[in-house]
Amino acid sequence: MAFSSLPANFAMPAALPKLGGLDFKPPRGTRAVLGNGLVVYLLKDSTLPVIHMTAYIRTGKLYDPAGKIGLGEMTAGLLKDGGTAKYKPEEIDRTLEFLAASVESSMGIEEARADLTCLKKDLDAVLDIYADVLMRPVFAPEKVKLRRDELLEMIRRRYDDPGRAVVREALRSFYGPSHPYGWRSEEATLKAVKREDLAACHANYYKPNNIIIAAAGDFGSDEEMLGKLEARFGAWPRGEVKFPVLPPVRLEGGRRVFHLEKDIPQTYIVMLQKGLKRHDPQEYPLTIANEILGGGLSSRLASEVRSRLGLAYTVYSYFVKKPDFGYSLAYCGTNPETCGQALAEMLRQYDLISREAAPDEEVKRARDSIVNSFVFRFPTPFDLITERASYEYHDYETSYLDDYIGNLSKVTPASVLETSGKLFKTEDAAIFVIGDSKRFDKPLSGFGPVTELKEN
Amino acid sequence: MADMIKSREDKLPPGASVEKDPKYPAVVSYTLKNGLKLLILEKHFVPTVSFTMIFKVGNVDGVQGKTGLAHLFEHMAFKGTKTINSTGYEKEKPALDKVEKAAQALIAGEASAAPAKEKLEALRAALAEAEKEADALVVKDEYLKIYTTLGESGMNAMTSTDYTGYVVSLPSSRLEAWMVIESDRFKNAVLREFYQERSVVMEERRMGETEPSRVLWETLGSNAFTTHPYRNPTIGWMEDIKRLTRTDAEAFFRTFYVPNNATLAVVGDVEPAEVIALAEKYFGDWEARPLPGRDYPVEPPQRSEKIIKVPFKAQPALRIGFHNPGMDHPDIYAVIMACEVLTNGKTGRFYKNLVEGRELALHAWAYPSYPGSRYPSLTVIAAAPKAPHTAEELDAALMAEIEKLAKEPPTRWELDKILNNYEAEMIKQLESNSGIGMNLAQNEQLMGDWRYDWKVGGELRKVTPGEISEAAAKYFNRENRTVVFLKEPR
Repeated sequence: MAFSSLPANFAMPAALPKLGGLDFKPPRGTRAVLGNGLVVYLLKDSTLPVIHMTAYIRTGKLYDPAGKIGLGEMTAGLLKDGGTAKYKPEEIDRTLEFLAASVESSMGIEEARADLTCLKKDLDAVLDIYADVLMRPVFAPEKVKLRRDELLEMIRRRYDDPGRAVVREALRSFYGPSHPYGWRSEEATLKAVKREDLAACHANYYKPNNIIIAAAGDFGSDEEMLGKLEARFGAWPRGEVKFPVLPPVRLEGGRRVFHLEKDIPQTYIVMLQKGLKRHDPQEYPLTIANEILGGGLSSRLASEVRSRLGLAYTVYSYFVKKPDFGYSLAYCGTNPETCGQALAEMLRQYDLISREAAPDEEVKRARDSIVNSFVFRFPTPFDLITERASYEYHDYETSYLDDYIGNLSKVTPASVLETSGKLFKTEDAAIFVIGDSKRFDKPLSGFGPVTELKEN
Repeated sequence: MADMIKSREDKLPPGASVEKDPKYPAVVSYTLKNGLKLLILEKHFVPTVSFTMIFKVGNVDGVQGKTGLAHLFEHMAFKGTKTINSTGYEKEKPALDKVEKAAQALIAGEASAAPAKEKLEALRAALAEAEKEADALVVKDEYLKIYTTLGESGMNAMTSTDYTGYVVSLPSSRLEAWMVIESDRFKNAVLREFYQERSVVMEERRMGETEPSRVLWETLGSNAFTTHPYRNPTIGWMEDIKRLTRTDAEAFFRTFYVPNNATLAVVGDVEPAEVIALAEKYFGDWEARPLPGRDYPVEPPQRSEKIIKVPFKAQPALRIGFHNPGMDHPDIYAVIMACEVLTNGKTGRFYKNLVEGRELALHAWAYPSYPGSRYPSLTVIAAAPKAPHTAEELDAALMAEIEKLAKEPPTRWELDKILNNYEAEMIKQLESNSGIGMNLAQNEQLMGDWRYDWKVGGELRKVTPGEISEAAAKYFNRENRTVVFLKEPR
């Protein structure tokens, strides 16, 4: 395989004023633990009369029983909507909506979240509802039915937008449809969920010692806010949480191509490769490698596939860390008549970065990009305190955020090359394509053994 | 606080004013001699600043056969200037002219009645060759790389039918760097790599053609309007995009990208006096030019219901568009309130009666003004049925809810809830620097006052329950509607 020349040298224009240093140290906020183990992060901010709060509940879609995938999502989604011991669903909706407040809960892959937003004047009333929602949901049967029917309708619609479906289906093929990192809820697994399952799921995971709360806004002093939380959550007894043991990730080696036939004017390509476990220090060189490869509009993928060749509007890459092996993902939407050309270029770019050291200038620019925009991780006090809570939730060192820039600054062209060489092995990549194969410029079989799939 | 504002105000140049009414944020306003309007709002939690530059030009200002030009120009505004992205403009200019000549020859060849295949191939090859020569003189993506190095966040641009916006956030120590780069961008843009970027835009259009919701929106606009240019999609028709030239885009740029057609909002950790001084220094010599008139053909009243069925391989969905009287018409406030009565939250009527209740809908929303706000537009209901119910059943139920509202005025509780939410939104929108920047600049440039949303809030308070019913009857009726159903082909 021939490689094109490396990117030309780039220097900042002389006309720009000298750039000053950036020395923003994100505030730490306050961390406290209630008697029952509930962890609380607070950051007071009285700029506006608003309060935001979120709770991380240690659970996730990956803990669903295999026969009841969707259980966690239904549980989280019904905490408020299904009513509580103290409040009927209609009463909650009417109170919150009249106050222009919101209490919403949702399920992620590795966590459940419960969010609150309200005006300062309504904090007590809204916090009363929020606490009851977290501690004493009752899952009213008609609301369970409604939620299940909605999820079933969303299953019927899950291939409607192929540009989104492609990522979900690619991960399903990559990890396997029976591994929690790859699975999705199905009609049968949703129908298997009974109301008792929801109550049992809540009873197991929703315990104070399994929750981290983060709040920011105009709530008075930290002591006042802690007092409000203690008054509502203090008597909630701690308890043991049982986590199922997850099967280890097993990734097949060798190139695999998956194709889903669809008569649409654009073809969607997703390429997946093995990634990192969450606390792997290779995160830093991988962050730089990804920034160079597909992190923004001046990255190699965007520069070649989009800007120079005009083959795509959307082309980028990112990586995701997980407790077990995460993944690196590259995405591209292109004309079916240029599918082969775009895919070949994506593969070529991964090969290039894993075989040739990137120029110093390019590594430095990628580092500058992340270091200089670091402050945008926390545009508001709530974003900052939520980020701090999330690091504790995911078991990072307490200094992770504060050391992040320092760790990134140590990345060199050599470490980018070493990490890329270890992680980017296109011969083991899984390639997933949704598109109209009659119009492809090259058959997909030229890229590896093809498995034909159907929308199911 | 008052002292602080006083001392800041002392530093401001003559002509600058600070908003002192506590109903509004303390925005500093200033207009350069060339007409460029500045809005500055200080916020200091983090050392960052968000810039929003809004031009009052969008697809509505395009001409017949050249739809999509506003959007394609927006892409071109990332391709540099005479000094950025170029190894030397003197050498580059003849190469760019050669590309343009080759491209126009190809477009003419493709448009001819019976183009010979060999001839087209030769024209394509000539264009590719000219592009290769020009590309050799480009410093690839330099404009983007500068911003990457500066630590940008959220660098983007957006084109609607009404406006084009350019946004970026930077560490606040980059204030002057932004002024240097962006003043050059809008004074000295060079539209290099035009035809490659036109291909990127065609891919963007193809992407939209695979998304059911975009297909619905486009079909609604192009069928509801017969005369007014709101009928054209912002991205443009594919056949038009194929014929756009760099020459078209340059003429467009000269006409509309002038300081007297723009507002700049600067929000964040900045000192207003410094922002004004730097804007004077870098944007002061940007030349103003008279703008063309914007009185486009007025859409005639719709005389009968239009029903369109779009075959598309996806689950059913629908859009209902009713012509509205425009944002400057006094009825619009009752129209907005009617939309909110129908769709505001889980206590809103559509959710309560159709999503819950009869379980006909997966969701149902209302949008007061689509595709724009500069001219009379559409008030739209967007909804999707829940199987086994059909889109037609859902349509009938939505219309029944509307007819009920037209007969029975809403309750005071419903109205107060909506007003409480509007007021809370006005506070919450101040949380995001880029969000409030966009709001201020858009409202100033398009609606004539950055306080527009607050003033609308005041107007909504005055609307009576009876007026809401009257508006529903007057505008949300069958003769005035266009319905688009997305249906799976059999």
